[in-house]
Amino acid sequence: MDHRSALERILRAIALTAIVVFFMFPIFWIVLMSLQTNETILRSPPSMSFVPTLKNYAAIISGELDSNAGTMSIHFMNNLLNSILLSVFSVALALLLGVPAAYAFARHKFRGSEDIAFTLLSFRFAPPLLVLLPLTLYFQALGLANTYLGLVWVYQLICLPLILWIVRGYFEDISPDIEHAYRIAGHGWFATFRKIALPLAGPGIAAAGLLAFIFAWNNFVFALVLASADKQPVTVGALAFVTASGIQYGQIAAAIVMSIAPTLLLALWAQRYLVEGLSLGAVKG
Amino acid sequence: MYEKEKDLISTFLDGGMSRRSLIRRLGALGLTAASAGTLHNMMATRALAADFDWKKHSGKSIKLLLNKHPYTDAMIANLDTFKQLTGMDVSYDVFPEDVYFDKVTAALSSGSTEYDAFMTGAYMTWTYGPAGWIVDHNEWLNDPEKTNPHYNWSDMLEGVRKSCAWNGIPGGKLGSDDAKQWCIPWGYEQNNLTYNKAMFDKAGVAVPTNMDELIEAAAKVQAGNDGIYGIGVRGSRSWATIHPGFLSAYANFGEMDLTNDNGKLSAAMNTDGSKAFHAKWVKMIQESGASDWSTHTWYQVGTDLGAGKSGMIFDADILGYFMNGGDNAMAGQLAYAPFAANPDAKGPTPNIWIWSLAMSKFSKDLDATWYFMQWASGPEHALFGARKMDFVDPVRNTVWQDEMFQEKLNKSYPGYVDMYKTSAPGASIKFTPQPLFFDLTTEWAAMLQRMVAKEIPVDEGLDQLADSMNGQLSEAGLR
Amino acid sequence: MSVQADMPVLRRSSRLSRTLLPYLLSLPALLVCIGILIPFVTAIYYSLQRYRMSQPWNRGMNWGENYLNFFTDPGFWNTLKVSLVYAGLTVGIELVLGLAIALLLQRRSRVNNFVSIMLLMPLMTAPALAALMFKLMTNPNFGILSYFMQLLGFHDFRWASSPNTALLTVILVDVWVYTPFIMILLLAGLRSLPTQPFEAAALDGVPRFEQFWRITLPMLSPYILTAALFRLLDSIQQFDIIYAMTQGGPGNRLMVFQVEAYLNFFQSTNVGRSAALLMILWAITYALSNVFVKNWLRLRERAKGGA
Repeated sequence: MDHRSALERILRAIALTAIVVFFMFPIFWIVLMSLQTNETILRSPPSMSFVPTLKNYAAIISGELDSNAGTMSIHFMNNLLNSILLSVFSVALALLLGVPAAYAFARHKFRGSEDIAFTLLSFRFAPPLLVLLPLTLYFQALGLANTYLGLVWVYQLICLPLILWIVRGYFEDISPDIEHAYRIAGHGWFATFRKIALPLAGPGIAAAGLLAFIFAWNNFVFALVLASADKQPVTVGALAFVTASGIQYGQIAAAIVMSIAPTLLLALWAQRYLVEGLSLGAVKG
Repeated sequence: MYEKEKDLISTFLDGGMSRRSLIRRLGALGLTAASAGTLHNMMATRALAADFDWKKHSGKSIKLLLNKHPYTDAMIANLDTFKQLTGMDVSYDVFPEDVYFDKVTAALSSGSTEYDAFMTGAYMTWTYGPAGWIVDHNEWLNDPEKTNPHYNWSDMLEGVRKSCAWNGIPGGKLGSDDAKQWCIPWGYEQNNLTYNKAMFDKAGVAVPTNMDELIEAAAKVQAGNDGIYGIGVRGSRSWATIHPGFLSAYANFGEMDLTNDNGKLSAAMNTDGSKAFHAKWVKMIQESGASDWSTHTWYQVGTDLGAGKSGMIFDADILGYFMNGGDNAMAGQLAYAPFAANPDAKGPTPNIWIWSLAMSKFSKDLDATWYFMQWASGPEHALFGARKMDFVDPVRNTVWQDEMFQEKLNKSYPGYVDMYKTSAPGASIKFTPQPLFFDLTTEWAAMLQRMVAKEIPVDEGLDQLADSMNGQLSEAGLR
Repeated sequence: MSVQADMPVLRRSSRLSRTLLPYLLSLPALLVCIGILIPFVTAIYYSLQRYRMSQPWNRGMNWGENYLNFFTDPGFWNTLKVSLVYAGLTVGIELVLGLAIALLLQRRSRVNNFVSIMLLMPLMTAPALAALMFKLMTNPNFGILSYFMQLLGFHDFRWASSPNTALLTVILVDVWVYTPFIMILLLAGLRSLPTQPFEAAALDGVPRFEQFWRITLPMLSPYILTAALFRLLDSIQQFDIIYAMTQGGPGNRLMVFQVEAYLNFFQSTNVGRSAALLMILWAITYALSNVFVKNWLRLRERAKGGA
């Protein structure tokens, strides 16, 4: 089976190494940086020999940062909590709304179904600011300004289309015959949906949910425009970090590491689902 | 108990006695400095409370929108005094400067009732005022029912006070008789040189006294020291690049941003004088500026100076102040110099930035908010901030005269007071107040970036900038 | 309880459900999104107005003037150019790189699986945070990339601070984050290709290089198109990376649509121009997304038919 030459194998190994280095190096370097003091970071030329310290992480978790204008308190942990709350509730709501809709689109070709489905998907592709900027002027009147509810609603722009389209693909891949058989056995529509369709599409729903969670977590512009300091997630919080006066570089790095760690760990844990979800169900036969 | 002590402290608070003699005399009465401090705070609260019903809005709460800044830290550190004094509650959101003004715009443009007062600069009120988002504070300042008798508005430096007042007419003179007081000055900054003395000595460079010398000094100090660049100035694509050192030097040559012909505004940055000045400024950055100048905000300008990566900065004096303290690598090694770019000028003409406080028109209780405003900008807090925190440069005359404050400056920041005094007479806002301020300055900064990158020759760039500005002024009905 | 007796009821209710149920199921999702249509309509309205928040007295309908002004506005043409160049270059580079990596990883093996998991990491990093990471890495004082450039002899490589390399820097971040996305799509495509044509070609002694051009590429092209369109839609709207890196500078080098619209809104408070810019961007993305969805549906049909 293996008819590759030695040269080819070597070239392949080199290429794979280069790829891994290119894509992993930034993360590796930022982790290294987060374990150093300003002193060792600023050494020239950069060196790998240093005594790792967890001081940066301790400072961020306690929220007390040394800066060149005295100690300042930054509620980074609060940002982290916001990220969790916003992502979890956004995905939960999107699943609640999106899965039944996806089922409807997959099973019932009703009048206008394709148009509605396309409209929903097109939200995914509309420039977010087009919606966000007028929203800043509306949210106040609606009483949604600076509430988790308002943000979770807007986050549906990211989560809902994603879930709708991926889950729809999964439902379409399941033969309706099983459901028909179950219905004929005298079970109601809802029971069929719950007992047959949902479990069969389970992996797809999990993949879509995970992806939606990650996209929600990684979102920047929604919260930048709409969230106040006590509601902002880590993406916006970390930017604030870099520009706040005189913060130690190691602490910035530690903040970035803590912001990306949840999604990276999630990816490691559930990589199979993610890859499936990312292929959009498009390539499943 | 403590009657004699209280009398002494009252005299001190009324300005009848210096702090040193107060402590000496209290010492004679057997009172330690620490308990004197407690007594002082107690008395300060009581003195504030005299003749004015500070408790009128007790039980109410207000919310502030604040920028991450040492002034903010000083205020928060002293906030309990206000709460005790008034019985009011204060909450706040603090944002870093990069996003701060966007947050203010977002809150005000949506008519948000969330924030009652916020930090601002005078320039911003040229947008907020005409947009109808902030109030004319004269209404409260002039009402003895609402403002406590010790507030002493006339104690505020006149130039600074007037710089925060504008009649709303594009091109109108700041501080004119019909002007509205859009914001209340809190702390301010002049733009001067802060330099690294050791580096200057090592390179054998004298403190520059005009633009040509500045260019030369920047190049020399860079050549004479390893791994540093000569001069730090801001360069990001933002209004903030124009207003500090750049505009201070520009104005020193008598150049202007706009001309005002009976209310018709026209761009004025393409005069011969302006072109000559721009050419020098651009050359200075090309030769001796930071390699990543085009991303530098005040934060990087300051950090590099503090870390010993640059020879000097031409920026806010208070930035030089901060970098000379704390745990900066260069703390204690920085020196200050007033700077007049034009050899023929009478003295420095620093453009100034004024961190101010303003009340939102959408606040649900402006009278209660005004209680916070007058406390935060009042003499007691200014003194507290100046003495114990980094509340420089104060906007009140009495604070500058305060012995304890002067002592602190002279001890840890030698030369600072002299620099301040030399440049203060020429200090004011050098911009023309008009609603397109941000369009003008942002485009100006973008053009500076292109000229420094040699994408466009200086002359051509300024002509283009002037054309573009004139077009926008016409479109907005200002020309 | 008699099952027989229930049957007519079930039948009636199921006929009702067949017509109403799908609407009932999709309605909540639609309603949630409809709310978002209202600001969209508002944006159209603003885009037809002379509307600066700092000059409320000047506000009024000027119909198409904001759009007409674009024709003579060099700033607009610059924005259009920068956005298209950015989108074109990022998608182009990511396609070539993503395809190359996918081909390398095509065979299922332990090493290949490990590499593809590693490649997920950048994709899981928030683009705004990725930009901050690269900002630290390109810092002239301690940035590791700046140091590498010095070792290579570029002593004055200024990354995002220089107009000559700013675009390159943000594209580098974009490529770092999004190449894995294209790789994953194409890898899935490659692995789903039928094996018979390749076996036949191998029997005929067709060289592998030619196999790639004559068989792999044509069969993979629907997947390539899907991936390219999907990325193009995102890339032309890029905001996070550029905003976090330079806010559109130096000069106007990185002034893409959404960054410019953001600054117009929040800094110049020129709502009219900001809305008009976004409407143009929306028109571009709407057209692209139509093409994308059509292509995507066709691909799905084919995948199903082939199964």
